[in-house]
Amino acid sequence: MINDIRVGALIAYCSVKRGNKKTLIFIVFVLSLIFMNLVFLPSMIGGLLGLFTGFMQDYPYGDIVIEPTGDNTYINNADNVLKKVRAVEGVRAATKRLDVGASINHKQKVVGVTITGMLPTEEYEISRYPYIISEGDFLSDLSRDEIIIGAMIAGAGFGSEIYDNLGEVRPGAFVDVTYSNGVKRTYKVKGIMEGTFEVVDLNALVHYKEIEDVYGLEGKEATSVVVRVKEQGTEAQIQDKIREAGVNEQIFTWADKSESLIRQAMQSMGAIDTMSKIVSLIVGAALVLIIIYINVLNRKKEIGILKAVGITPRSIVLSYAFLSTFYVSLGISAGLVLYLSLMLYFQANPVTFYETMEVRPVIDPVLLVQSVVTMLTLSVVAGILPAWSVSRESILKAIWGR
Amino acid sequence: MIKVKDLKRCYGTGDTAVRALKGVSFEINKGEFVAIMGASGSGKTTLLRILALLDDATGGEYTIRGLKVSSLPEAERSYYRLTQVGYIFQDYALINEMSAAENVYLLSLMEGKSKKESYRTALEALEKVGLKGKHDRVPDELSGGEKQRVAIARAIAKKPDILFADEPCANLDTANSKQVLDVFKDLNEKYGQTIVMVTHEPWHIEYVDRVITFKDGSLLSDEKKVKEPGSVKD
Repeated sequence: MINDIRVGALIAYCSVKRGNKKTLIFIVFVLSLIFMNLVFLPSMIGGLLGLFTGFMQDYPYGDIVIEPTGDNTYINNADNVLKKVRAVEGVRAATKRLDVGASINHKQKVVGVTITGMLPTEEYEISRYPYIISEGDFLSDLSRDEIIIGAMIAGAGFGSEIYDNLGEVRPGAFVDVTYSNGVKRTYKVKGIMEGTFEVVDLNALVHYKEIEDVYGLEGKEATSVVVRVKEQGTEAQIQDKIREAGVNEQIFTWADKSESLIRQAMQSMGAIDTMSKIVSLIVGAALVLIIIYINVLNRKKEIGILKAVGITPRSIVLSYAFLSTFYVSLGISAGLVLYLSLMLYFQANPVTFYETMEVRPVIDPVLLVQSVVTMLTLSVVAGILPAWSVSRESILKAIWGR
Repeated sequence: MIKVKDLKRCYGTGDTAVRALKGVSFEINKGEFVAIMGASGSGKTTLLRILALLDDATGGEYTIRGLKVSSLPEAERSYYRLTQVGYIFQDYALINEMSAAENVYLLSLMEGKSKKESYRTALEALEKVGLKGKHDRVPDELSGGEKQRVAIARAIAKKPDILFADEPCANLDTANSKQVLDVFKDLNEKYGQTIVMVTHEPWHIEYVDRVITFKDGSLLSDEKKVKEPGSVKD
């Protein structure tokens, strides 16, 4: 077997060393494109997924979100829940929120929204709401008659032309809000928030106490308790610790929430991704097979001669396995260089969706390893099959065609 | 050394069957330089291919040094071709992407010799056929005669029991043909190499000890020559 390997390696080495260099470059170039096709789309999908999940963490759900059980509208003892949560090791910050439905009216224009009542000071540690005020200021602890409006409904940001909006509302303007229980309030617009995410830019924010007053709550209720952890990746452990601390409400990690929210979109993208991978692999396998098969056919006589002088069929098959592995290794290397160059380009120039959402592709090492292994395995099989077939032919047929 | 008894080879079946060999018998002794002659289609190349284990007989038997090689399984036939038999093709049959030395030492590597030893053996064989200093040239950089001498070096490097040559000068001019035949003659005279050469050139007879002539798949004549010393090289 060692002799077979040595001879197979020598035949392959000579074939590469003195073979047609233009053909080699062409083969490697095409294989590099196949490899890139295999890894690029999943990287973009990964980037898109990361963007969505990042939004989910930064705005509605934090790292962990606690919601009422069953049909309950509120967590009835939110302060007690907060106290227990804050005592859990690994929790960085937590706050309570009240989400309600309402309509906002400004100069005969009406828009339906979700208004979130929040404790402004605590939000600095929890979310990015305080940091995305594009005009005016964020709420303060004294903001009892003030409101923050999302850019899309304010008519100031991208998406205003798609969704109903209030028509160029600016900080300082007054809007009338009618809550789902019929209570009406007039608020001064304190700021416009622009998070480049519909869930944010189609909403409005007021002080927690404002919702309490409107709905006649007693200072203990919340529709959600949002938690941030000290260390990313520990969410599931802390979820368990919160349960162990005696919190009996529903506890979700951001991943649970994101999954259910964008599962359908990701499944569709995943299907596209899988189809693209399968097509790339089939095309790649066919190409390697064709390359090696043409190579084998062109050198059928040579294979016959090698057999005639005593070289074993196994050596001949191994030489083609080495050859195709070499082609594919070079193709993968060139593909990696192309891929990483594209990654650098897209990091600096992200793909923009809806003019506001910037998607940067994500390099997934597991995906890269999987793709490399898949292509190498394929190349060995694609290289071996035609060589094995020809090496089994009789010497006379291989050399003289009869 | 070689005993051939009632050897037959038939291609195809039924009415279209071609009987290339119709039951030939002869013996070749160690150290002989034998020419097999005959017109095209007389069966001489078929015989050579069967003896060199490149093809199978459909009847009869043959032995080399007492071993009934015709009945060996394929793996052993491959090993036999590698170690005991040297075969020289009409069209050189070199691997174009390998240098002269690589074409030769490939077989030593296959035999299990070290790279260094294989390379040394290859250089010796190339020197023996007059190609010293041309070991790193690829076939495209060599003349027809030189290519054929590389093919001879490849065949003799493993020191085979028998050297089979199938019209080795068919693609060469007279000068190159003489160079090749001189190499054969030297190998036969200096090293006692047994050589069986198929040829249709009457002047090649000058170089050999014995001439076996075929006609229509049968042995027509078998003549041993009485050589005069120095008769070949004038």
